[in-house]
Amino acid sequence: MTRNVVRKAAALLAAAVLIVLALPAAPAGAHGETAQESFLRMGTIAFWDVKYTESKVAQGQELTISGTAKILETWPDQLAEPKLGFIGVVAPGPVVVIKTRTINGQPAPAAIEVEKGGVYHFEMTLAGRRVGHWHVHPIFGIHGAGSLLGPGQYVDVSASPGGFANDITLVNGKTENLENLGIGNLTVWTIIWFAVGLVWLLYWIVPKPTVTRLPVTSQIPLNTDGGAYGLITKKDHRAMNIVMALTLFLVVGGMVYQANAYPVKMPQQVLRFAPEAAVMDATFVTMDPKDASYDVDSGTVHLTVAVTNTGSTPAAVEAFTTSTLTFDLAETAGPGTVQVSPSPVIAPGKTVTLVLSMTDPVWHKERLMPVGESRMQITGVVRTKDAAGHENFTTVQSFVKPSRIA
Amino acid sequence: MSATTTAPEAVDERTNALRKLLNRRYRFIDRKFDIVFWVTAAFVVAAAADITKLLFAGDWDFWTDWKDRQWWPMVTPFAVIIIPSALQYIQWLAWRMPTGAVYTALCMGVASWIGRIAQWDWFGGFPIVFVWPVTIIAAAVWLDWVLLKTKSFVLTSLIGGFGFALILWFVNYVILAPYLQPVDWMGLPLTVSDVQGIEYVRGQTPEYLRMIEHGSLRTFLGETQYVSLAFGATLAVAGYWLGQFIGRMLAIWPIGRFIKRF
Repeated sequence: MTRNVVRKAAALLAAAVLIVLALPAAPAGAHGETAQESFLRMGTIAFWDVKYTESKVAQGQELTISGTAKILETWPDQLAEPKLGFIGVVAPGPVVVIKTRTINGQPAPAAIEVEKGGVYHFEMTLAGRRVGHWHVHPIFGIHGAGSLLGPGQYVDVSASPGGFANDITLVNGKTENLENLGIGNLTVWTIIWFAVGLVWLLYWIVPKPTVTRLPVTSQIPLNTDGGAYGLITKKDHRAMNIVMALTLFLVVGGMVYQANAYPVKMPQQVLRFAPEAAVMDATFVTMDPKDASYDVDSGTVHLTVAVTNTGSTPAAVEAFTTSTLTFDLAETAGPGTVQVSPSPVIAPGKTVTLVLSMTDPVWHKERLMPVGESRMQITGVVRTKDAAGHENFTTVQSFVKPSRIA
Repeated sequence: MSATTTAPEAVDERTNALRKLLNRRYRFIDRKFDIVFWVTAAFVVAAAADITKLLFAGDWDFWTDWKDRQWWPMVTPFAVIIIPSALQYIQWLAWRMPTGAVYTALCMGVASWIGRIAQWDWFGGFPIVFVWPVTIIAAAVWLDWVLLKTKSFVLTSLIGGFGFALILWFVNYVILAPYLQPVDWMGLPLTVSDVQGIEYVRGQTPEYLRMIEHGSLRTFLGETQYVSLAFGATLAVAGYWLGQFIGRMLAIWPIGRFIKRF
């Protein structure tokens, strides 16, 4: 009875496992950009003006990702202080290759020194590598804290007639394909060492049975080779000496070979630096956030900010950016827009209290409103522009009151 | 008859008895047992060795741009000598075969290459020339040879462990050499391996996580490599004894508790 139940349960379990394995898995189309807590995503780094020059490329064809990332002054205390950062790309593996990267106009091969409030204009040239439909993001990693994703986009990579080659030019002038550089050297030496190892091992395990040795080895001290009983013979010693000599010969030969084949070498480089400060316009507005609310049902955020125009010309609110989202000024409510009341324009020398309203299901979809999280707070960057076209990007932060918690 | 005159005869009798025992044929346990053992154990040994390596020296083994002259020679010998040492003890104790290290090296080599080709190249899409694993076979030959010659685990740990770390470095440096050639990248001097690390996207491995030589005020005349090799060799000796502990206390001792001694 019990046995039958166990058998049936096992059969059911096996069938369930088979079904799960047989079902096609849904392709993963994103990188968990909504997984992190929203108040941390909003309060750490803001991305704006992120642009992709192409959404479809052939293998080897290039596209550029450019944009700006700011490490906000509101960087939370519970995260490690931003001192070392890295701007790169996240994608499902090396589906694209990064051919160039500049930060604030300087080539940036490695991590950079960063600071709170730092603004980093980045530009990366990518080349399509693996054929497919790929979700690609810029990413800003902060040492000790973690990585924040910038706005992503799908990139389609189509096949090129010749496939993909990744040519680089060595300092000695030779052009090599990075896809297979050194493959011959790697293959030959790997085979050689496997062959040597097999010779050693097969010498022992083919002619010598194991079972009959155990009754003998169990009766003799550990620090003897059992030569008197035929466990290890002088012939064995001689054979192993030869293999050992061959091994040492190959080791020395290998070093001589590499010294001749690759005479100019150097250690890996760690070219980190502090980028020059991004060129930003002089400050002409200051902001003092008052409060914020979120209507869960309509998906509307109201952010109240006292704005002072310290400049000599009128300034106007242009946009609000938080995390990877930017809401542009518009008169009517709609996705991706911000309405400013009573008016987005602030006269020079005046301080006015503005209400920025954003109605968009994206707040819920992107899990960007921290309802029910441990810190219900909204953070973002308000973009303002004066009559001369100068722009300010001002960080504002306020606790947010949701219309309901559940 | 005195003891001094009977002793040689006794030794000869015992020797003859053991020689007979060695050549005895068993009805049910024959060479098929050997085949089954060597083949099935290969999976366990390969997994144990590869996992131990990845646990202690994962990224240094994964990427060419991590294979530097400071950390790689220190971390890797320790990581890859542990399981060979354990197997060396087991196979020497049981069969008096100096094969434990080479057997492990071959098993781990096959497992590593299957992993790199199937997971990293075919599935992950990384070029194999960026993600090749270290080979420890030559170093393992040395380790087994030293045991064969010295018949001592203490001497093998000292002489074998030191040589193991050195040979490991020399052998793999030959394979690494093409990737240390200088390249001009956006006007900056980098190695081929640096460029591999920049160009092939590793989204969740920012460059600042790369633990390689950064320089230090304590660097002696720029000879980082030799100091690291010496320290790595010392660590290899420690790793050897960790392996011995695994072989003696986690493998042989529990078996001895349940199987009657001859």
